[in-house]
Amino acid sequence: MNPAIGQGFIDELALRHLDAAYNLGRWLLGNEHEATDAVHDAYLRAVRAAHTYAGGNERAWWLAIVRNCCLARLAVRTKDKRNVTLDGPPAANENWMPRSEADEVENRVDSAQRQSLLKQHLQALPLNFREVLILREIEELSYREIADMLETPIGTVMSRLARGRAMLQQALAGPTTTQAPYGL
Amino acid sequence: MDCKTANELLPLYFDGELDRASSRELEAHLDACAECRAALIELDALRRALREHAPRQPAPELLRARINKEIAQRQQVSSDAPARSRQPASRWLALAASWVIAFAAGGVLMSSWRTPSNTEQPQVVRDLFASHWRALAANSPYDVVSTDQHTVKPWFAGKIAVAPVVQDFADQGFALAGGRIDYVGNERVPVLVYRHGHHLIDVFILPPADAPATGKPIEAQGYVLDTVMLGGQPAAIVSDMGQAELAHFTQLLNSAR
Repeated sequence: MNPAIGQGFIDELALRHLDAAYNLGRWLLGNEHEATDAVHDAYLRAVRAAHTYAGGNERAWWLAIVRNCCLARLAVRTKDKRNVTLDGPPAANENWMPRSEADEVENRVDSAQRQSLLKQHLQALPLNFREVLILREIEELSYREIADMLETPIGTVMSRLARGRAMLQQALAGPTTTQAPYGL
Repeated sequence: MDCKTANELLPLYFDGELDRASSRELEAHLDACAECRAALIELDALRRALREHAPRQPAPELLRARINKEIAQRQQVSSDAPARSRQPASRWLALAASWVIAFAAGGVLMSSWRTPSNTEQPQVVRDLFASHWRALAANSPYDVVSTDQHTVKPWFAGKIAVAPVVQDFADQGFALAGGRIDYVGNERVPVLVYRHGHHLIDVFILPPADAPATGKPIEAQGYVLDTVMLGGQPAAIVSDMGQAELAHFTQLLNSAR
């Protein structure tokens, strides 16, 4: 055990990176209440698991615990409703708009609509790709940190990130638009 | 380099994960290839769109309150049985204790956590010391290891809004060792890491609004914090150097451009 880890460390860590934790939870679970509960679980787990922190990026360590708590909830959810898959369509997401409405706005999207479009497309990505995009682009973790968090080889992180980016770019370009809405 | 190789390396380059030699080769290819340049611009456009349109959702107050309640409850339990801690004494324990005091004094609301209550040092000063100690306790005090200012500065670009002035003072005895990104309050700030003999020196480049009041150095548990202007930006130096060495280093940073 690293003797440097005191209880105050976990408390400070959790509170300081609470927004990051909650945001990750929301993207993994697609639901505010569950994200809140999952982060609360994660805090309690982090307190018990303080001895497993072995230096390095403590935010990545904390987010790994948050992610595990979210995955545990997703596992229960799929068990409860066997017909709903882990990476199913984002019908449960409160931001989801019917497809026809989304089609209409693609030609003349204002900022709010763009935001909801991008969120829809991101939420619609399979979890494996969605989470690496959040961890890399929003949380700005390094490949190594993400690989450690996900307990996967670094090459897997790289390929998922490349694939996730390509899928999102493709989704945003859209089948009906001639011009990518996010070009510079 | 051909486009196939360039395409494979492009995300690594974009994410700051490509070594310097390959980056140079890739840049040479990019100079000549508009198609690969366009791919790079698309990566950047996607990142901007994500950051702008899918920004972090702040945690609800309810969640913050729940966690603060857990902390307060556990503190109650541990103050009832204070002899249970078996951890070896270290400066971290003292640091942890200062957090406990801060929480006890600040009550359970996050709003009061941010205000410098009855503790003598402002939050930003405690953040800076905490960050320095955390870096010392971690496996590596930096995320990019380089004695070359031309490697460290570009590493920061793309990770934070304003890349800091980076200058190596190896000839004067203060060798650039690397850099990292750290948190001061909620801000991500660049940190330059220097070595002077056995001393490790952190230089935090601070947002002007967050900079602690300048004046005389602040001491905490054998460590010293001093403020300096580095290329027009306020910066804080944290290390365990002596006064004379610190003054010398401050002077060097003041002259950096």
